[in-house]
Amino acid sequence: MDPSTPSPPSSPGPSSDSRKVSRWPDRIFFVVVTIVGLGILAMAFAIVGILANSSRESFRVFGWGFLYGTIWDPNKQIFGVIPFVVGTLLTSGIALLIALPLALGSAIFITTQAPRYLRGPVGTAIELLAAVPSVIYGFWGLFVIVPYMRTTVDPFLRTWFGFTGLFTGPAYGFGVLTASVVLAVMIVPTICAVSRDSLLAVPVAQQEAAVSLGATNWETTRTAMLPYARSGIVGGTILGLGRALGETMAVTMVIGNVDRIPTSLFSPGQTIASLIANELLSSTGPLQTSAILECGLVLLGISLGVNVAARLLVWRITKSAGAIVT
Amino acid sequence: MSSSGTGTSAPPSPPPTEPTPGSSPPPAPEGIQRQKRRGSWVIPVVAVIVIIVVIVAVGFAAGWFKSSTSSSSKYSCTAVTSGATLPSPGTIKGEGSSLVEPLIDQWETSYWTGSVVTAYNPAGSSSGISAITLKVVDFGASDAPLTNTQLAAAPGLLEVPEAAGGVVPIYNLAGITHLHFNGSVLAQIFDGQITNWNNTALQSLNPGVTLPSASIAPVYRTGGSGTTFIFTSFLTLKNSYWASHYGRNLSWPSGLPGTSASGNGGEASTVSTTPDAIGYVDIEYALTSSASLGIGAVQNPTGNFIVANVTNTESALVDLHPTLPSGSESWYNVSFLDAPGAGDYPITSLTYLLVYQDLSSAYSSYTLNSAENLVDFIQWAITTGQSWSPKLSYAPLPGFVLTVDNATLSSMMFDGSPVPICVVNGGGAPT
Repeated sequence: MDPSTPSPPSSPGPSSDSRKVSRWPDRIFFVVVTIVGLGILAMAFAIVGILANSSRESFRVFGWGFLYGTIWDPNKQIFGVIPFVVGTLLTSGIALLIALPLALGSAIFITTQAPRYLRGPVGTAIELLAAVPSVIYGFWGLFVIVPYMRTTVDPFLRTWFGFTGLFTGPAYGFGVLTASVVLAVMIVPTICAVSRDSLLAVPVAQQEAAVSLGATNWETTRTAMLPYARSGIVGGTILGLGRALGETMAVTMVIGNVDRIPTSLFSPGQTIASLIANELLSSTGPLQTSAILECGLVLLGISLGVNVAARLLVWRITKSAGAIVT
Repeated sequence: MSSSGTGTSAPPSPPPTEPTPGSSPPPAPEGIQRQKRRGSWVIPVVAVIVIIVVIVAVGFAAGWFKSSTSSSSKYSCTAVTSGATLPSPGTIKGEGSSLVEPLIDQWETSYWTGSVVTAYNPAGSSSGISAITLKVVDFGASDAPLTNTQLAAAPGLLEVPEAAGGVVPIYNLAGITHLHFNGSVLAQIFDGQITNWNNTALQSLNPGVTLPSASIAPVYRTGGSGTTFIFTSFLTLKNSYWASHYGRNLSWPSGLPGTSASGNGGEASTVSTTPDAIGYVDIEYALTSSASLGIGAVQNPTGNFIVANVTNTESALVDLHPTLPSGSESWYNVSFLDAPGAGDYPITSLTYLLVYQDLSSAYSSYTLNSAENLVDFIQWAITTGQSWSPKLSYAPLPGFVLTVDNATLSSMMFDGSPVPICVVNGGGAPT
């Protein structure tokens, strides 16, 4: 009873106490968050540092020649990264070419053309696709895409586009083109989800303005929506490209894993990521291990380059888009 | 205009703006403060919990909390005398050859006694050699004997042959189930000199067979593989061009045509799904794979074309009967290729388990129990375990190999004394 009676009058007291106490959680919070934040930074540096340190041996033997070496021969202990850089950029590039129209088309469909009751379910389904583990895509690629490429796509391309010289060599089903198709399917949801969000962010007024000027659906989309959503679409595309560059499991399962520069779209190849997955554990010695880790460093560099390029691109687009909007 | 109007003219415009600032400020700060206070507690607490969980997880992974198991009485092999020793708990980890995986898998299930578990990862012979060199497994398995460089990198490593197998060429040609090959033709197919199935050299080995005019699609193994080593050793022996240009290697020579597949299983499935493909696998994989796979007969030194099986790989071992090194010496030049018998299969090879001779100095975490378990498992594998081999198309080890193996096993040490060989844990032979 006694303690309860003094408490009502001394209400400012507890409040000042709680203010004093409330500093401590903030300080702890600050310290914890700082540690976590700096820890992640340290981890990033440690990863680069360890990769660089482990690839010293390879750098000592091959020097800068490693970066333009076209031969990867564990038996002769000659290692160059070019076959895998070509494989990585080729598969990701083709995947992007296939995925971008699909993703953009479905994003536009969901935001503008689909009946309202379809938009939610289809959007959710696409987001779910983005969450499917890559090994599932690899599995699906191995059992569905590989045979289909071999029996149907391969003869078709050979017959009609054989003159380009891009479609030669034995029909394994495994290869650069198959890996590109699987990658394309994997990155469609990523690009689509981001594009859809940025298309949804286009102000209704802007669409109405276009419609009121007599624009058709296509014209509204092209003139009022796509320019406004450009930065988001580019961002999503780069996100998808990033995923394609680093994708390991699905690519390893369908690319054929051959340490050569691909000579045609049907020929098997190897990306940097699949090389690491395939050969790091079964390397023939310290030099190969070191060379594989140097490849990892190159992949890190490529990813970093793509990200920086993307930032610059988005920055330029938002600048020009901003100018258009105002 | 509009902004300056609202700022200066008080009476008309206030109604919409004034009520909100006037009424809302009192409750708003409290709400914000309360939210802030709650947030500032929750986030650090969650962060701390996450950090603790991560640390504990890392600790478990690193074995900080591992209780030290008490070892049984030293150097007693009561099982042999009383037959009633309890199996010591433990897990035996192995990694390596996919060629011998079916047999080791069988051994795992047959040997398993409820407390000693063997876990085998068929990541390939090169992986097996790396893993045992790094001492992350209890035994490695390789179809290729170690080079002097590899032996130097893992001092004290013993090579214990545990089975013998045959490597067979497999192919996928619609309607053709029986083809003859010889070493020279195989070498020319795999190095790209023979590119079409109706090549005259191939046709002359197969009179009466209508070979299609189709490009050959070679399939080889990804990364370092003991099966590749056995196969390239054979090509090196039979074809001088191959010998001088490519030689015998764990990794497939670079620059040759074809695609690659991972593991014996991957190789068999790739060949069986790729029309006009050719590859090479252990007998067991060829037999258990799909029906579309043809198994090639290979010409032996007497001129006969042999389809590999247990009998003709076993007779190849017995007929060659080379002088064997001891377990601690190099086995690199031990070869069972091209045995002289009329019915012997020419691409036959031993496959090896790799273990350390001095277990207490190789593994700091080892107890006498662990050492006994490992030696016990291998002893069981080369004795009772051999009776499983023919069922899985491996040749059982002949006596002259077993003699060397027994000497090798009895040379294994723990804490300066030999590890007793008990065979207490193993299950029985197949019925």
